[in-house]
Amino acid sequence: MKKLSVVVAGTGQIRDVEIQPGTTAGDVLHQLNLPDYLLSKGPNEPFFASAESVYDKVKDGEKIFASTKAEVGVAVCA
Amino acid sequence: MRIRDLGTRPAPAALQNLFARVTRGQAPPPIVERRQLPYWQEHGWAQQGNIYTGSYQTPYAAFQGWIEQERSGRINFYIYNPSNNIRSHSHWTCFQHRGNDWYLVHMGREPRDVSSGIMTIERLIKEAYER
Repeated sequence: MKKLSVVVAGTGQIRDVEIQPGTTAGDVLHQLNLPDYLLSKGPNEPFFASAESVYDKVKDGEKIFASTKAEVGVAVCA
Repeated sequence: MRIRDLGTRPAPAALQNLFARVTRGQAPPPIVERRQLPYWQEHGWAQQGNIYTGSYQTPYAAFQGWIEQERSGRINFYIYNPSNNIRSHSHWTCFQHRGNDWYLVHMGREPRDVSSGIMTIERLIKEAYER
């Protein structure tokens, strides 16, 4: 088991969770009732895919971010 | 040697505290409160009404910015004088010049909060420098 602190970027609220091996980013977001969010270690790291296991990619006690989905773009540069 | 008994008197408070701590055992360590700040605030942006000012920060470069949150909920992100790396990015067409080297960053998919938008732009800047 690993402990994770998920920071909801918009509010700064910290949600503590404990995850087991194989837990995916989608599992975490579902558990925290953050369906429209994405998990990442920060803006300098890529987002975790929903089906991606986060267990091996985070350290025990690590802080990660949940931010809402957003994309820079207009129709011509999607 | 002759000893004269002068009676007893209370020990100084500091000594009393020390003995009390030894007999009670160690007190539990204090819990440090975690600061629960939104990303924009944690990263040095300032808010005045519906306007935020600060900088988009990446390991490669930082760019001055300001953000306007409209009453409708729509959020407009501006960046000052984007570098050549950003201008060479495939999303450069999404930066609309607004005069005096300020650019509006058009969001195809709009973030629901200021922090998520800042993170999105910082991610794009990083990408521009890693290409």
